Amino acid sequence: MRHCFWLFSILCWQSVHADEYASELDYYQQLPTVLSASRMSQPLSEAPNAMTVIDRQMIDASGFRNIADLFKLVPGMYVSYYKGSQPIVSYHGATDQYSRRMQVLIDGRSVYLPPMNTVDWADLPITIDDIERIEVIRGPAAASYGANSTQGVISIVTTDSMDGKSASFVHGNKGINDASIRFGSREKTYDYRMSIAYTADNGYDNLTANPNGITGPSLLNNSYDSNQARMMNYRGNYHPDGANSYDLQFGFNHDTQGVGFSDKNPAPYQPTSTNGDPIHNLISHSGFVQGGWRHLLDNGSELDLRYYHIQENQSEAFPVYLGGVFFPGPVFQALQTGRDQFEFQHILSFEANRLSYGGNIQRNEINGQSILPPLSLAYTPSFTTRDYQAYVEDEWRISQRLLLNAGGMYEKDRMGRKRLSPRVAFNYHVTPENTLRAGISVAYRTPSLVETNLPGVQPGAMFVPSAVPDTPGLMPEKMISREIGYIGQFVDWNSTLDLRLYSDSLGNGIFYDKPAAGMRNGFTADYRGIEAALKTRPTENIDLIANFSHMDARSNGPDLLAAGYGGFRAVYPPGFSGTNDILTASIPKNSASLLYSQRLAHMVSWSAAYYFQGSMQPFDRNYIDFQPTQHRIDLRIAKAYRFEGGTSGDIALIVQNLLQQDAYTEYIASNLFNRRMFVKATLNW
Amino acid sequence: MGKFLSFLFLCLLPSLCAAGKAHVLLVPSGDAEPYRLFSDAFRQSLPGDIQVDEIKLENFTGSEKADLVVTIGMRAASLAVKKASMPVIAAMLPSYEYAVLKAMRPAGLSGIFVDQPWARQVSFLRAAFPDRKLVGVLASPDTGPDIDKLRLQLREAGDSLISEAVPRGTLFEKLEKVLSRSQVLLAVPDIAIYNSNTIRDILLSSYRHRIPVVAFSQAFVNAGALCAIYSTPDQLAAQAGLMVNAYIRLKSLPEPEYPKLFKISVNHEVASMLGIAIRSDELLILKLEQGGPTR
Repeated sequence: MRHCFWLFSILCWQSVHADEYASELDYYQQLPTVLSASRMSQPLSEAPNAMTVIDRQMIDASGFRNIADLFKLVPGMYVSYYKGSQPIVSYHGATDQYSRRMQVLIDGRSVYLPPMNTVDWADLPITIDDIERIEVIRGPAAASYGANSTQGVISIVTTDSMDGKSASFVHGNKGINDASIRFGSREKTYDYRMSIAYTADNGYDNLTANPNGITGPSLLNNSYDSNQARMMNYRGNYHPDGANSYDLQFGFNHDTQGVGFSDKNPAPYQPTSTNGDPIHNLISHSGFVQGGWRHLLDNGSELDLRYYHIQENQSEAFPVYLGGVFFPGPVFQALQTGRDQFEFQHILSFEANRLSYGGNIQRNEINGQSILPPLSLAYTPSFTTRDYQAYVEDEWRISQRLLLNAGGMYEKDRMGRKRLSPRVAFNYHVTPENTLRAGISVAYRTPSLVETNLPGVQPGAMFVPSAVPDTPGLMPEKMISREIGYIGQFVDWNSTLDLRLYSDSLGNGIFYDKPAAGMRNGFTADYRGIEAALKTRPTENIDLIANFSHMDARSNGPDLLAAGYGGFRAVYPPGFSGTNDILTASIPKNSASLLYSQRLAHMVSWSAAYYFQGSMQPFDRNYIDFQPTQHRIDLRIAKAYRFEGGTSGDIALIVQNLLQQDAYTEYIASNLFNRRMFVKATLNW
Repeated sequence: MGKFLSFLFLCLLPSLCAAGKAHVLLVPSGDAEPYRLFSDAFRQSLPGDIQVDEIKLENFTGSEKADLVVTIGMRAASLAVKKASMPVIAAMLPSYEYAVLKAMRPAGLSGIFVDQPWARQVSFLRAAFPDRKLVGVLASPDTGPDIDKLRLQLREAGDSLISEAVPRGTLFEKLEKVLSRSQVLLAVPDIAIYNSNTIRDILLSSYRHRIPVVAFSQAFVNAGALCAIYSTPDQLAAQAGLMVNAYIRLKSLPEPEYPKLFKISVNHEVASMLGIAIRSDELLILKLEQGGPTR
C-alpha cells in the first residue's frame, strides 16, 4: 500500500514537475485581502444594534424575485405595494406611500434620493441575483451608517466577482418574464463580474368590487402597474498586492412603469370629475459609477476612500381631466437628480479597542420641469444642495465579557443645520453563549426637498418641487431609540436566538397640514415592541428561520385630527385597535415569518415560507384600503444538474401565495395578490 | 529559541575551524522571492569559513566541486537528487515531496521541510480552539500530504476530521459540504484549492458559515484567515545553516527535519468579527511550547 502511494506520488510528482510547478510556493503565494474590517459585519453578539442578515442561501430559499420582498424576512418590517413596482419598505408599520425613514445603501452607496428622499426600488440597477447579502439594522444607526437612518438601515452587499458564465430565465403568470446573463472572471490581480438583465411583470390583479361590503369611498383603480426594466451592472476589482485593492463599479437601469389611476376619470356617474394622474408611463433612466480604494496600513489599520456619482432621470407625459374636460396636453414633468459623494473611513484595531472614524461630503443636484398647459403653468426649478458628515465610533472591550460601543455622527445638512447623532450600547456576555445588550441612540431625518418645497399643484406620479420653499422653517425629525436585547448563540444546536425589546420616540414628526397645503412639524409618536428571530440548522440539510414581532404605537394623531389637521385620517372601523389613533391602527400588532428549507438527495431541494401580518389600516389611505389579516405561503422546489465539462444548472418552480383562498390585498386594496407561479432556469458554464 | 541557536553556533564554531574551509553549493529553484530570502538568510547563518557559492538551476551539472549541495525548493531538489555527486540537503520542500525524492535516492539526502508536522498543527488547533472539535479539510484526490495521518493525530487529541476529496470543478460544492459539518477549516497547502482565484469564495463562504480558517501563511491571514502557523524562509534558512554546520563537523547527514522555528499569526479583526475569543500570538506560542510536541 505504501509503495502504491509512493508510485502514485512519483507519477503525480512527474506531472507536477512537467509544468514546473513548485509546491513549496503554495506556502508563500500572495493573496488578495478578502475579509477586511469594512467588509465584515460584527457578530450579532457584539453589534451595537439589532441586526438581521439575509444571506444568499435565504434569498434563494425565499424564491422572491423582487428585492423589496426580502424584507418580509426581517422582524417588524412592513412590506407592501402602492403599485406593482412601487413597494413600501418600512420598519414600524405603514407610512404614507413614500416610506422615507430608512437609509438604504448598496455597497455603501446611498440610494435614498432627493427630492422625495425615498428609494425607487424599481430603478435600482441590480437584480436580486446580484446580491451577496443584506444587513438590516433594526433601529437608528447614524454613528455607523450615516444620516437619515431614523428607523434603521438596509445595507445591500453585491457579489464582487464570479468565475464563469451564467444565464437565467424566469417565466410565469402575471406577465413575469425575466432574463439575465452574468459573466466574470477571477485572475491573479483582477477580477470582475458583469450582469445584463431584463425584468418584467404586470403587477397586481385588480379588485373589481369594494372589499368586505364597504360602501363610501371608491377603490383607487391603479390596475395599470406593469413594469419593465433593462439593466446592466459591472463590478471589478484590481488588487496588485495584499495591501491595496481598487474597486470600480457602474450600472444602468432603464425602467418603464405603469402609473396613474382611472377611477377619477369622468364617467356618467361623475361627469365633472378631475383626474390629474390618469394612467400613463413613468420612464426612468438611472445609473451610477463608483470607485474605491482600500488600503491596509502596516499597523493593521484599514483606510477606505470612495467616490460615487448616482443619477436618476425620470419623465412622464400624460393628458388630464379637469372638471370633466379632457385636455390631451400633454402635461409634461421631468426630474433629474444627481449626487456626488466622496467618503473616507479609517478603521484601527488596538488591543482592546476598535476605532473607526470618517467623513463624507455630498452634493445633490436636482433639476425639475413641470409644464401644465391646461393651467398655463410651467416651472423649471433647479437646486444644488450640500451636506457634510463626520463620524467616529469606538468598540471598547472593557473586559472579556463587557463591550462598550460608543460613537456619534456630526452633520451639517442641506439646510445648514448642524447636529450630533450619538449612540451608546453595552454588550455583556453573561456566558460565551448568552449575551445581553442595552443601547440608546438618536437619529435625525432632514426634511426632503419636496417637504419644504411642496408644489401647489401635483399632477402625475412625480413631485417636482416648487422653486421657492413654502415651509423653509421645517425642522428635522428626531428619533430616540432605547433597546434591550438578548442574543443566544448555541453552537451545539446550530442555533441563534435574537430577542429585542424597544421603545422608540419620534419627535418633530413631519405631517401634511391639509388646510395650509404644506408640511409641518408637530407629529409625535412612541413605538414599543418586542421582536424575536430564530435561526437554526437542526440537521446538516435543514435550515429554519422564524421571526416574530409585536408592536404597539401611540401618537398625537387624534389631537392633530381634532385640531383640524386634515392630514390625519379617522380610524375605520371606528375603535379598531381600541383607539382612534391612526398610527396605532396603521401598525400590524403582530407579524411573523417562517422560512424552512431542506436539501434532499439527488440535488433536489425545497423550501416553504409562511408570512403573517395582522390587520391594519394603512396610514395615509381611506378605510376602503383596510388590510385584513394576511396569511401567505410560498413554496419553492428546485433540482440542480451537473453536466460533463463543468457545466451545471438548476431549475426551480416557485409558487407564491399557494393558498389561493387567502388572496390578500396590499397597501392599496385593489392590489390583489393572487397566486403567482413561475419557473426559474439557470445554466452555469 | 534564538538564544538556543546562538549557543549551538558557539559550540560548533571550534570544530568548524578545525575542519578547514568547507565549500557549499546553494541551488535555488528560481528567483522567486522566498528563494531569495532563504538564500540571503542562509549565507548570514553560516560562519565565515564556510564558503557558499550560489549557482543557477540551469547551470547546475552535479559534478561541481563542493562538499555539499543545499537546494531551495522542489525543482532544484529533484535535479540534485538525479545529478549531484555530493550529499544533498533539500531545503524548503513539502515532506510528502521529500518522500518521493528519498525513494529515488535513499542515501546522501537529507532535507528541511516547509510544512509543519501534523502533531504541531493539531496542538495548534487545540490551543487556539479548545471547544472546536470538528476539523474540516479539503484536499485534491490522491496528491499532497497524507490526510490519514492527520486523521489519526486528531483522533488522539479527541477531535474528528471531516475531509472531502476535491476533484476538479467540485471545489465549491465540497467546500459547502465541509463547512456545513465542521467547526474549523484547516487549510492544507494545495494550489488547486487555495489560490488567488479561489480564496475569495473560500473565505467568504467560511465567513458566512462563521467557520474560522486556520491557514499556512501570513498572506493567508492577511487575506482573512483567522490564524496560521508557518515557517518563514529566514527560519528555514537558519535551520539549514545548523544542518550544514552539523554535516561539516560530523561528516554524516542528519535525518530530515520539520521546521524547528515557526511563527503564529492571528487576524484579530477576523476573530472579533467571528466573535471568537482567541489567545494572542505570543500566548499561543507559549501554549504550544508547554503542551505541544517537542520542537
